[in-house]
Amino acid sequence: MKNLGLLGVAAALMLGTTQFAYADAIKLESGKESKMILLPKFLGILVFDQANEGAQEAHAELANPGKLEFLGPTPENSVAGQIEIMTTAATQKQGAVLLSNNAGDQIAPAAKAAMDAGTKVVTWDSPIPSGEGESVFVAQVDFGSIGIVMADMAHSILGGAGEMAVLSATPDAANQNAWIEAMKQALATDAKYKDIKLVDVVYGDDQAEVSYNRALALVDKYPDLKLIMSPTTVGIQAAAKAMQDEGLCEKTKVSGLGLPSEMVSYTMNGCAPEFALWDFRDLGYLTYYTAYGLASGQLTGEIGETFTAGRMGDYTIEADPGRANAKRILMGPFTVYTKDNVEAAAK
Amino acid sequence: MKKRLLSWEGLLLAAFATIFAFNAISLPQFLTIPNQINMFQLSIEKVIVVLVMAFVIINAEIDLSVGSMMGLSACAFGWLFQQGVDPVVAIGLCLLIGVLGGAVNGLFVAWVGLPSLVVTLAALIGFRGLARVLVEDRGITDFPDWFDALGQQGLIGPMTFAMISFFTLLVVAWIILEKSAFGRHTYVIGSNRDVAEFAGINTKRHKLIIFVATGLVSAFAGLLYAARVGAVRGDVANGFELDIITIVLLGGASIFGGSGTLVSTGLAILIVLNLRNGMALHNVTGHIQTGVIGFLLIASVLVPRLDLLRRITKKSKGQE
Repeated sequence: MKNLGLLGVAAALMLGTTQFAYADAIKLESGKESKMILLPKFLGILVFDQANEGAQEAHAELANPGKLEFLGPTPENSVAGQIEIMTTAATQKQGAVLLSNNAGDQIAPAAKAAMDAGTKVVTWDSPIPSGEGESVFVAQVDFGSIGIVMADMAHSILGGAGEMAVLSATPDAANQNAWIEAMKQALATDAKYKDIKLVDVVYGDDQAEVSYNRALALVDKYPDLKLIMSPTTVGIQAAAKAMQDEGLCEKTKVSGLGLPSEMVSYTMNGCAPEFALWDFRDLGYLTYYTAYGLASGQLTGEIGETFTAGRMGDYTIEADPGRANAKRILMGPFTVYTKDNVEAAAK
Repeated sequence: MKKRLLSWEGLLLAAFATIFAFNAISLPQFLTIPNQINMFQLSIEKVIVVLVMAFVIINAEIDLSVGSMMGLSACAFGWLFQQGVDPVVAIGLCLLIGVLGGAVNGLFVAWVGLPSLVVTLAALIGFRGLARVLVEDRGITDFPDWFDALGQQGLIGPMTFAMISFFTLLVVAWIILEKSAFGRHTYVIGSNRDVAEFAGINTKRHKLIIFVATGLVSAFAGLLYAARVGAVRGDVANGFELDIITIVLLGGASIFGGSGTLVSTGLAILIVLNLRNGMALHNVTGHIQTGVIGFLLIASVLVPRLDLLRRITKKSKGQE
């Protein structure tokens, strides 16, 4: 009897998977009109500009007669500014807001109001933690796997043993916090990392000067620090520059998530021998396809729905393993850059 | 003096009318009730604190700690709520924190005699630090429904509790400043503290009351913010003090004290809100918005000095 039950479950599971595998990917019809806003955490950061390029590319491909605006707040006014833009988008009857959230759950009421007014909210890069007021999150990579990649890079740079510290963005960035947590878990659970000691987590607020100073403060505070791990493109570049300026590159290495074009010189001179990233253009492109599908009513946003995102291929909406009651689309994978491939990628 | 202020009010009124008309003509959504509500709601906590900041500045002081006090009050509420304290009790405790924080500022300024710039700068850092200690790097959310509803939904028609509070406080502040002895003393002390002392005004007590009121209203505004966004973090209301002071100065209050009215402060509030709303609906990005408000502030400081400038140039010409 017990076995029969199990068989039944297994059969149902198989049926389920076969159904997924054979479900036709929805081909989005182009030319539907929908105004949209691409809302980054704030303006003036290269990766957000790249995401915008990707979104504009998709916008042109799908021949949406509506306008795609790239609108963001200033870094000092990020939270209030994002809430303001979200609220205004509902008033403007925008079809969709493509949000890289920097406001934590504070944006949830505004996002919910926008959804009630018929504006779809698709998050990318950084989701709304509670998932409230969000149609779906386009995740760049699986958050857990980022933690393992960072732990692996640390392992390789440190030769398996030594002190490291994390230089993150803002203390409230949902994405960075999740990755740091995932890295801590990887470090704690796998025996091969047992001699790597994480001594501190500090925040450079995603501002170059603050991050630079925090990096130097870390070196002062921990004389045996061998590695600064920075899961943000602003932080990793500032830390690498700080180590280079102070001639500390032999002693303290830098790693994390960085842009090849910004990191190439530090990788070649050995200050940042390894770092990783995904393509933000692709992220913007995929997010736009998702938002367009939802705003034009061609996608419902239900779990299991599969659609074709232009040149990037097919993607499926799934339950977000990191957030209860939230949905995601997983883009993945990402690239680890070293001396061997960074120059080609920087061009 | 009176004439200059009157003409300043006229100028503000003209500026407001221009911006309002431009918005109304160029934006079909502008005059809808939901948009007007949103326009106030998005900045409601700031403009509530503007009302008390006007008293502080007319009294020839400054309070840089208001944004941090808003943050501290919001975070304290989040923390207390998480510890299982009854939300109503938590609200009371947060308002008490506002009173105490304001009293510390007031005591150091009035009795110890330190400049308010220094005292409240220290408080800005101290209150923010406390807020961050309380909630660490977390966000706290899932407040009771009635609390969130109070911040987000209309209480009387579409008017939210925060908006009703603002308009009530505006009237109360106007009566106190324009019609009461306390208001007159605020101007006298702001113009010349020594004269006020000779006239027998208890300037220390007066300043203490103003700082306590500012702390209390800031704490109240912080709670309104927590209710409106339904979540708190350590950076709540970070940097709000600058926007608040900007609006008061735009309203024509002199940073050296002794002048300013609540009518022109009210007009300055309307100008900034309408300008921001219009720019947002026209999809103007954050950097340009900040630039426009900055330009407005410079103009508001310069324009009243124009006649002075003219007199100086005339004099130098006469000497030639």
